[in-house]
Amino acid sequence: MARVSLSNVTKRYEDVVAVDEMNLDIKDGEFVCFVGPSGCGKSTTMETIAGLTKPSEGTIRIGETDVTKLPPKDRGVSMVFQNIALFPHMDVYENISFGLRLRKYDQDEIDRRVDNASEIVQLEGMLDREPNELSGGQQQRVAIARAIVRNPDVFLMDEPLANLDAKLRVHMRTELQRLHKQLDTTIIYVTHDQAEAMTMSDRIAVLNAGQLQQIDPPLVCYNEPANLFVAGFIGSPSMNFTDGELVDGGLTTEHYDIEFDTTELGISPGDEITAGVRPEDIYLTRNEDEVDSSSEVIEATTDVLEPMGDEIFVYLSLDGTSGSSMTSDEAAGASNQLLMSVDPDTEIGEDESVSIVLDRSKIHLFDTASGDALAHGIVDLSEAERTRAAAESRGQHE
Amino acid sequence: MATTTEQRSDSEDAEDGVIAKWTKGVIGDDEKRARLYRALFYVACGFFLVTTLFPFYWLLVLALTPNSQILTGDWSLPVIGIEFPHPQGFNPQAFVEVFQQIPFHLYVFNSFVLATVTTIIVLLVASLAGYVFGRLDFPGKGPLMLGVLMVSYFPPAAFLIPLFDAFLGNAVVIPFLGIELFEPPRLVNTPGSMIMPFSALFLPLAIFILTTFYAQIPDGLEDAARVEGTTRLGALFRVIMPLSAPGVATAAVLTFIAVYNEYFFSSIMALENVPENWSPLVGGILSYQDQYTTDFNLMAAASIVGVIPILILVIVAQERIVSGLTAGGLKE
Repeated sequence: MARVSLSNVTKRYEDVVAVDEMNLDIKDGEFVCFVGPSGCGKSTTMETIAGLTKPSEGTIRIGETDVTKLPPKDRGVSMVFQNIALFPHMDVYENISFGLRLRKYDQDEIDRRVDNASEIVQLEGMLDREPNELSGGQQQRVAIARAIVRNPDVFLMDEPLANLDAKLRVHMRTELQRLHKQLDTTIIYVTHDQAEAMTMSDRIAVLNAGQLQQIDPPLVCYNEPANLFVAGFIGSPSMNFTDGELVDGGLTTEHYDIEFDTTELGISPGDEITAGVRPEDIYLTRNEDEVDSSSEVIEATTDVLEPMGDEIFVYLSLDGTSGSSMTSDEAAGASNQLLMSVDPDTEIGEDESVSIVLDRSKIHLFDTASGDALAHGIVDLSEAERTRAAAESRGQHE
Repeated sequence: MATTTEQRSDSEDAEDGVIAKWTKGVIGDDEKRARLYRALFYVACGFFLVTTLFPFYWLLVLALTPNSQILTGDWSLPVIGIEFPHPQGFNPQAFVEVFQQIPFHLYVFNSFVLATVTTIIVLLVASLAGYVFGRLDFPGKGPLMLGVLMVSYFPPAAFLIPLFDAFLGNAVVIPFLGIELFEPPRLVNTPGSMIMPFSALFLPLAIFILTTFYAQIPDGLEDAARVEGTTRLGALFRVIMPLSAPGVATAAVLTFIAVYNEYFFSSIMALENVPENWSPLVGGILSYQDQYTTDFNLMAAASIVGVIPILILVIVAQERIVSGLTAGGLKE
């Protein structure tokens, strides 16, 4: 058990920077997920922690030791690989005990630990099987047993569930959480599946292009994304983005305007900003009472409906044109499209004119140029005036 | 529609010759085709069996025939009358005589030791080289590999004279200046003078074989071994090499056989053809021949005796090769 800290870790390959000035501090016993699109440097970061790749610059500490120059075997880490990587020429027992045998533990201790580890991952009675006689899930459990048997300080998991089928993946996800509760070891987990990241981790580290975008608990990443990238990456389907311009007393975009108090934003009218709103924060006007602070009414036409069972995704066209060939992600990015999710029992048809409102408290504003978040939830102008007036009157009393 | 095609094919059948009919049968009829493939398989098998085993048969015939009969005997078969090697009399005594006339077992021992030591050295060095060439990326990899390739194209005879000169223990002198640099140890008549050049000569082939095999082992397995507690070297010997067993066995068998049968270098490095000077197996076989007589039967018997260690080795190694190949594709 130990904390892991990376400071200014950079990994350069001949012409690409895979990891760029990464600073990370992972607490003892924490479960941290690295998420990001392919090639964002999450696996490389993990490899530098494991010692399989040497960083070009920067230092890595595990516990109190600087491990930057130590070989993987001396770092007190163990790793579960995406492709499982069991040794095909050894049976399950030999696979699990490999690290212990290398470290010359005595036979009784090895047996005791292997029994214990195989019990934790429910592999009793399979110790004499060959890896190729096991199913995918069992192989993955052997790999996990091999990792926990050494009582490592830090667990590294590089997309361990990616090669499993969907059902097994959900099952193993729960098992990993149970395992984390049981062992209380620091776990660093790489995945591109945000469902895994959201459900399992204490904190999510979102990476893009070798740079850390945000590291926060899952719900903070979801509700208060630090920038456009995190906002678009976390959440499925993705957040709707609309490019617009800040004017005095609100925001104006091509198809709708929203009035709000701009004084606290710290930018001046005329600046380009992007408004983001998640599909579940868009409401039909007839359901407006569900929202505490709704925005101005926006007129739209429904395009395509995607009933998912527990909700319906509605593609809304703001200018009346059809964008039916778009996928949900593209639709969310296009400025004349909005993706809305409604209850499955909502009566709604295709090519219907609807009026919608946005939940003000869930509207995110980003600086279009830098991508940085400006505000999460905007305040109604009238409400803002009321509070300001109240503050002023309080000031006068004193 | 169906009836018309049948009629057409019937009328065509009538016009076709025997071969055309048979060809059509093979193409159209699965059972006939299977029979043809089976027949071809047996023919090919038979051909290879005869060509490989006939020399052994001939050796056995020569070994069992008393030496006087070999040159003077009647080789035509009893009834048919065609000349064909077959035993003239039965003289298993030759296999004992082989060891009585010269200490043949010592020659076998010499070759066996030379081959074993060379194989171990070659496998060790070629494994390291194979790992580097197969699994690492570094500047100058191509030219280095080419250099190894060039060594393997070099005629071994070109090395012989300088090596012989060096192994005699003559002082190394700078040409024209006459300055003596150092005096190398005298290695002739010792295994060192043979093992060193053999290792150098057979390395390139082993490097090529092992490079291809080691390159195929998934990176994940090596990473896993390293995280579990081995060094890179440990991962090579504990994971990569065992998983490349077929390749390692192939390289080992090829090297072992080549050194075991080697005569050119060792006959020169061993100054006299006696086992004490590490003269090899072939030297032993040739010593049944002197200025006036040649004991063909003893030479044949000695050859058969000499083959036995190799036979055992190949059978053992082959099991390894076959088991390696049938263990299924390498999944991570």
